[in-house]
Amino acid sequence: MYTILHAIVGYFFLLLTVRILSRRPGGQLTLAEFVIVFLIGGVIITATIGDDRSMTNCVCAVITVALLHRLISWLKSRYPTFGAVVDGTPLVLLNKGQWQSEAMRKAHVDERDVMATARTKGLKTFDEIKYAILERNGSISVIKADEKAEG
Amino acid sequence: MSSQPDTEHVHDSVAQVDNEIAVGEDLEFQRKWWAFENVVWVVLTLVLLLDLLGAFGRGYLANATLSAKDESVDVRYERIVRFKTPSILTVDLGPTAVREGKIRLWVSESLLTDLGNQRVIPQPLSSVVGDGGTLYTFEATDHPTTVQFALEPSKTGTCKMSLGVRGHELLHMKVFVMP
Repeated sequence: MYTILHAIVGYFFLLLTVRILSRRPGGQLTLAEFVIVFLIGGVIITATIGDDRSMTNCVCAVITVALLHRLISWLKSRYPTFGAVVDGTPLVLLNKGQWQSEAMRKAHVDERDVMATARTKGLKTFDEIKYAILERNGSISVIKADEKAEG
Repeated sequence: MSSQPDTEHVHDSVAQVDNEIAVGEDLEFQRKWWAFENVVWVVLTLVLLLDLLGAFGRGYLANATLSAKDESVDVRYERIVRFKTPSILTVDLGPTAVREGKIRLWVSESLLTDLGNQRVIPQPLSSVVGDGGTLYTFEATDHPTTVQFALEPSKTGTCKMSLGVRGHELLHMKVFVMP
């Protein structure tokens, strides 16, 4: 009973915390962000399981989290606004040679993050990028200046 | 049962940037979300500050002291404790508490059940259950003396408890157990 309640509270609190941390932990994890993800996860486990280390308790906690995840996924597909709340919306970071300063500042992304993704696509300078988009999962998509699409 | 898969025409439902690339950006929503994020960070910071001060237990605001008017007993305890987390309740017994070399300290049942008393320090000579609580008898050769109760609450919410030296004023306390 307590485990299920704790798992529900823990799930939504963790969801809120990760959501407001900025979108970067979902995509490009730096070493510092790895620390945050593992530390928060470890702390939530302690509160969820409590002093009941039985297999029954663990199974109930896992089922609760799985069902919550399933429910959130269903709500996201059914209600796009709910999906925007949980995952955010894509953000244009670079639009035809113009940095979108507000989006970059609020999303805690800088030019080096964009260029790091661009290099993985074989692009060498900013001039070769037409659009850079921060996706909902935290990754950055770049579209070449002379081509339509490049993931 | 149809063997045809469900299909649907493609609709241009994802918002485009410059009528060129379907991104689905919603800057208006994002601005509202960023404002909400700022509020959440302020709230979380306040929660941390309150925790540092002890508003959720284990700190300055949580500590409390209560004294009997006849100076038989002083109690130091935490008015806010946490579920399944150890806490110490200290009872300082005054000279008037000792009678015939013994101290008889009565505590209400809630101290033993809801607040989860784990042990009494020092070990009492005897303990008698009754009158909605337990009467502990300690041998006292010197005064002032101190008795401690090691608590580990097993129930959340407000808990009322009472204690006092037999034949003296009874002290009543409220303890809130945080989940």
